[in-house]
This record gives sequence, structure tokens and C-alpha cells, in this order.
Amino acid sequence: MSGAGVAKIQFSGVEKSFTSARGDVQTAVSRLDLDIQAGEFVCLVGPSGCGKTTLINLMAGFEKPSAGSVFIDGRAVTAPDPDHIMIFQDYGLYPWRSVLGNVLFGLQARGVSPAEAKEKALAALELVGLLPAVDKHPHELSGGMKQRVSIARALAVEPSVLFMDEPFAALDAFTRLHLQDELLRIWKEKQPTVVFVTHDLDEAIALGQKIVLMAPNPGRVQRVLEVKLPYPRERTDGNFAVFRKELFEEFHLVHQQAHEASEYVI
Amino acid sequence: MTLVLKKLLFPFISLLVFLAIWQVAAGRYTPEQFPAPTDVLKAIRELADSGVLWSHIGISMARFSTAYLLAVAVAIPLGLFLGSFNRCHAAIDPLIQVLRPISPIAWFPLAVLWFGIGNAPAIFIIFLAAFYPVLLTTISAVRAVPPVYLKVATNFGAGSRMTFLRVIVPAAFPGIMVGLHIAVGTAWIHLVAGEMLGAQSGLGFMIVDARNFLRTDQIMAGMLLVGLLGLIIYRGMKAVERIVGRAWGIAA
Repeated sequence: MSGAGVAKIQFSGVEKSFTSARGDVQTAVSRLDLDIQAGEFVCLVGPSGCGKTTLINLMAGFEKPSAGSVFIDGRAVTAPDPDHIMIFQDYGLYPWRSVLGNVLFGLQARGVSPAEAKEKALAALELVGLLPAVDKHPHELSGGMKQRVSIARALAVEPSVLFMDEPFAALDAFTRLHLQDELLRIWKEKQPTVVFVTHDLDEAIALGQKIVLMAPNPGRVQRVLEVKLPYPRERTDGNFAVFRKELFEEFHLVHQQAHEASEYVI
Repeated sequence: MTLVLKKLLFPFISLLVFLAIWQVAAGRYTPEQFPAPTDVLKAIRELADSGVLWSHIGISMARFSTAYLLAVAVAIPLGLFLGSFNRCHAAIDPLIQVLRPISPIAWFPLAVLWFGIGNAPAIFIIFLAAFYPVLLTTISAVRAVPPVYLKVATNFGAGSRMTFLRVIVPAAFPGIMVGLHIAVGTAWIHLVAGEMLGAQSGLGFMIVDARNFLRTDQIMAGMLLVGLLGLIIYRGMKAVERIVGRAWGIAA
């Protein structure tokens, strides 16, 4: 936990631009300021091209800002850090390792003794409900189970921040709902800071304490919405629908703007 | 039942038909021009009884395995290195692309000049035949390692040594295995060619020797044995691949 008033993750004047093959400079994220508190569950939503993936990559240290800095625990992010683990949509599991072997990877990288590593890995696998599958290989698992393995692999090293880049986007609707509930349960238990990128507005409302709605051309924060609903959130609840309506209307506005902007360009 | 039918009975029938056509066709020519399967079988027995066959096979297998293992031992580390370092690859790739299309047979005059007659030139030829497939597949296998594997490794703080040995090498291994497989085929084909050109022993030499005495039956016996041994080596390779596939968690 960081001190009162100091944000866990802090963006100060962050800008990121790419140079395309033709030599044009495109701004993916422009002059962005944003604070995320320790233990907070924040969802980043927005239409494609709004820079939400760029933003999470900047936080995780996979990309460097063109200007400004991202601070985590008061230090500027310069490279990926084992304390801030990214969970990918396509899992990033190693097919030659068993489920247990995959979860052990992060602990081995850290030089944890084999006995302790195994204990921690099994505890993480228990947390995601995968103890019966420890000896299986990734190709034997369903998409939902694979994503549980990658969540267990992250939890095993006890990170203070979890970055999740559309982690459930490739899963079927039923599995997705189930994993959303599981993720909330784990978050309550372990209290990491979670930054969750999604293009599914319902998912964002079901999960986030705070929803950051982004707009494209150039990528920027359109609005930050606080979802003051108690967990577990009933998706059919009237209050849920209120937030849903608000977010959808804002999202339509963003879409319209993006559409008009692109018409001018063409 | 249907599996047995597919795996044993059908191939057996087609083999019988093939032998029957061969036997009938051979009947229209003299044995010196086109020996029948029965003549070839007789020749194999004659060669086996005199003991020369076994020594030729033994020498061929020894040359083949020496050259193949040597090629693998050089090509895999070099391929891992070139695949990992883009600049080195960019520098050396054009050279590889020029040398690779040169048939190993074309090296033969130089091989004899450098290594004389005997085992060395044949081994050199087989080495070249196995080297390029393994090198090229290893390079492309390393370059095709999914970026997400490397991202995960850096995210968890894996050092470059751990990333190389425990992520890049195992991730590239199935691709390298394809190269090892292709190389067995090309190396075996060039074994016979290499032995025909300069050696005084081995299956390739046996075929050339038979030609000098116009023993067409022995020529065909040699060809048949080369084919059968090739099949056995190929099957062995398949078995190894299955074991590796299982260990790597890839459904075979």
C-alpha cells in the first residue's frame, strides 16, 4: 500500500506516437493524465484505435512513452517488472510445460527454491480451481482453463498490479461471465491493483470500480466513470442498467465523433 | 479390423501387384537388361552369404550417422545463434543463400582434392546435404517464436540465459525437428551419390562395382536395400518425433 494521496499508478503528460511505414507520425495517446489508486479495479474501454492497448503496454513497460512518464509507486516505468504482471488475450502459455510447469516459470525466474516454488504454484492453482489439472498440457485445456492458468502464473509471484489486455475476449459468453466472477473473487482476496482493458461495456460495468472511457484520433481519455455499485453486481439490476445507459450514450458520442473525424480525413 | 486392413492388408496387396507387374515385365527382357524380382532376391542372398553385404551396410550406416550427427551438431548451434541475432543473420543470410543451391555433388571434385579417397569425401558430401536443411529450419524456428512467449519471460524477470535455454530453445524445437527430418532424407540420398563417386566400400560403391561387372541384379539389389534402409531410418525418425511431440505437449 502506498501512502495516502499518492496514486499507485500515475500518468503525467504521457504521449505516445508511432511512425508508420510511410513516414507519417500517428499519435496513439496524447497528453494524458490519469491516477489509479492502490487496490483499485480500473477498466479501460473505448473503440478500436483509441489507444487502450498502447496505454496498458506503457504501464506494463512493454512500450516507452514519446513524452511524459508513467509512474508506479512513484518510480518511472522503464521496463517490464515482475511486480506488475500482464495477462494476455492469447494466454502466452508455454505448450511444452505442464500446467504446473507454466505456473512455476515466474517463480523459477525469480530464483525461488524448488520446494517453495511448488508450494506457491499449487496454492495459486488452487485459487483458480485448477488443482485437478496440474499435470495436463495447455493443448488439453479449454480457452477458459488456459486463461485461469495464466492468471495462476501471475498470482504465484504475488504481483501488486495485474494488467489484463482483453483477457476474456476470445472466450464464449458463458465462460466469460464465469471468469469475471472468479476474477472478482480473487481480486477481493488478494487485493492487487487491476487494470483491465476491454471493448465489452457490460464487462467493464460488472468489474470496474472506475471505468476510463477513451476516444480515438488521437487516443485520449473522454470520461472517467465511477461505478458505485456493490459487488457482486447483478447484471439484471436496475442500477446496473443506469450505468449501462450512461456508458452506452457516452460511447455512442465517441463513436460518432470518431466517425465524423474519419470522414474529414477521407 | 478396418485399421488392420488399412495398415497391413492394402499395402501388402499393392506390393504383390507391383512385384507381379515387375516379374511379368522382366520376362520380356534378358536378366542383364532388366532382372526380375526373383533374380534380385537371389542376388541379395548371394551378397549376404558372402558377407560383403553386411560390411557395406555397416560402413554406409557409420558414414551416414557420423556425417549427419556432425551436421546437426554444427547447424543447430549456428542456427540458434543466427536466429537470435538479427544483425548477424542479415550479414550472413546472403552467403547462405548463394551456397545452399549448390548441389553437394558439385563439391565432389574439391572434396577429393582436399580429403583424398575414402571416408572423408563421402562424409563431407553427406554433411553438406544434412547441414543446410537443419540450419535453415533452425533459423526460421527461432525467428518464429511467438513474441508473447518472450514478453512473458521478460515480464517475469527471466534473464537472457533462462530466456534462451528455457523459452527460445524449447519453443523452436518442434521447428528444428522438421529440419532434422528433412535432413535425414537428403543425407541418405546423397550417401549413395557420395559413395558412388569416390569410395571403395559402402552401398553406393556396391552399386558402382556391380555396374562394372554388368551385374544388373546386384545393382537392383543395392537400390532395393538403399530404399529399405531409408524406410527404416525414416520410421525411426518418426518414432523419435512422436516421443518429442509428447514431451512438448503437442498432440501427435
